Amino acid sequence: MVDLTTKIGPLRFKNPVTVASGTFGVKDELKDFVDYQKLGAVITKTITLHPRPGNPMPRICETPAGMLNAIGLQNKGLFEFVENKIPYFRKNRIPLIVNIAGESTADFSRMARALDYHRKSITALELNLSCPNVEAGGVRAIREKKLIAKTIRAVRKNTRLFLFAKLSPELGDVLESVREAVRAGANGVSLINTVRGMAIDIRSRRPRIWAGTGGLSGPALRPIALRYVYEVKQAMPQVPVIASGGITTWEDAVEFLIAGADLVAVGTANFVNPRATMDILSGVRVFCQKEKIKSIRELRGSLVSYRRS
Amino acid sequence: MHDETVTVLENRKVNAKYFKISFRSKHLASGVEPGQFVQIKVREGWDPFLRRPFSYYRIRGERIEILYEILGRGSELLSKLTKGDRLQVMGPLGRGFSREIRGKKRILVGGGVGVPPLVFLAERYGCDRFYIGTKSRHEVMPLSEIRKFHSRVFHTTQDGSYGVRGLVTGPLEVWFKKDDFDPEAYFIQTCGPTRMMERVMEIASHFGVEGEASWEERMACGVGVCLGCMVWTHYGWTCSCTEGPVFQFEETPPRETWAVR
Repeated sequence: MVDLTTKIGPLRFKNPVTVASGTFGVKDELKDFVDYQKLGAVITKTITLHPRPGNPMPRICETPAGMLNAIGLQNKGLFEFVENKIPYFRKNRIPLIVNIAGESTADFSRMARALDYHRKSITALELNLSCPNVEAGGVRAIREKKLIAKTIRAVRKNTRLFLFAKLSPELGDVLESVREAVRAGANGVSLINTVRGMAIDIRSRRPRIWAGTGGLSGPALRPIALRYVYEVKQAMPQVPVIASGGITTWEDAVEFLIAGADLVAVGTANFVNPRATMDILSGVRVFCQKEKIKSIRELRGSLVSYRRS
Repeated sequence: MHDETVTVLENRKVNAKYFKISFRSKHLASGVEPGQFVQIKVREGWDPFLRRPFSYYRIRGERIEILYEILGRGSELLSKLTKGDRLQVMGPLGRGFSREIRGKKRILVGGGVGVPPLVFLAERYGCDRFYIGTKSRHEVMPLSEIRKFHSRVFHTTQDGSYGVRGLVTGPLEVWFKKDDFDPEAYFIQTCGPTRMMERVMEIASHFGVEGEASWEERMACGVGVCLGCMVWTHYGWTCSCTEGPVFQFEETPPRETWAVR
């Protein structure tokens, strides 16, 4: 039997497989395909303080080995989530990581305080500091690292929950952003969010999604995500990383683990194969058995260099 | 909801525009309502990356038939498959057309590739009148398929090569304008190009006829998690994959108002 248990600070996960925010709904939408209790953790779609209607259509567009999206953080707001969703995760003992975004630092603080009250039902918070699709609280607003630090400090003051800061490579120097986030009080980081891209309908000459640009996700993004996870883990091995970016098969997940990822988050793959998380989990387990790896710890960060040491 | 690998039984061109693909599956064929759809991965690998939604056309026991038109790369790749090829199919998805229509008589209005799910509906629950609009006679489905419904079938073609020349909404409006037409006695179920359905809804609302329409939106997951295939309703953006694709006329305001919020 392979030990897939993953420890991150005080947190203990059954296995390293989780999901990327926004690809798995907010509750049990994929219950026909997924045994939620088997997952390391579930990360919710971004919750905001107030309900958000989201962007007009079209919101998505297929691209080579991936897709663009500009959903615009459509969600029913924090109150609805606390009332109707948290009890479900508590009752079924599903480790829950709540992804939150605010239009201001004050929003983030209020949400953190409200969720801290439910901390027995919540494993951690993931701060969406990098949604490319909204003006406020998105990349366009959080261009300066100072604002990242300010937001994290505000959240830290209001909760004892474990905090992951979800960062975008579009902020420039990712290593510096990670350092800044950790200094401000984040316990770990999530790397990476989508990268903004564009597609044009050549007949109508309009962008293929309403917002003009949208976040690129899917296998096309994977090498870029892998590189960031690797670089961050090389520079700061002690900082826990939830890796996401095009993880579609168990081989992809193993790649990220070798690069040093603590958790591997399956994202857009859920849209194509709703059982992707289950397939990846069993694939990783079988791989470890075949490779005679007794614990996932042996695999994590085990990259072999060409250079002689 | 099931996701399984099926074997193609046949895949052939049935007229100038449409192809028919069939396969067998116990799970994908059971409990299906007309208007529901499947998500097909047209081939393995990541190109194309997403699945494609197709509505059910016919179910014979465990045999499922889908009538489709080549509209892009996905459907084109699908048309290249031959007997014996394997295919990943998920379904049945969405909410189909209403079976109970408050004791009213069923009027079906279909355009182009929107006709097949209505044929399924007519076959299952019957209909009083069936309006079918196509571009030309080359796209008209075999009449034998439609005649057996014992309903009045009205054909229109845009080039006049079959039935009445013009849009399908023409004869519908002519009928509604008749003195003895009772709007309370009928219920419209429509599927086809967006503009056609909007015109149908416009006429229906003008004459006070109730009904429902099957909307088609660009879709990624098909199961309500990506929030990509939204339809604007009076209660906000709504997933067409889980709450639709069929919506009551009164639920959806005119499309030109969608972007405004």
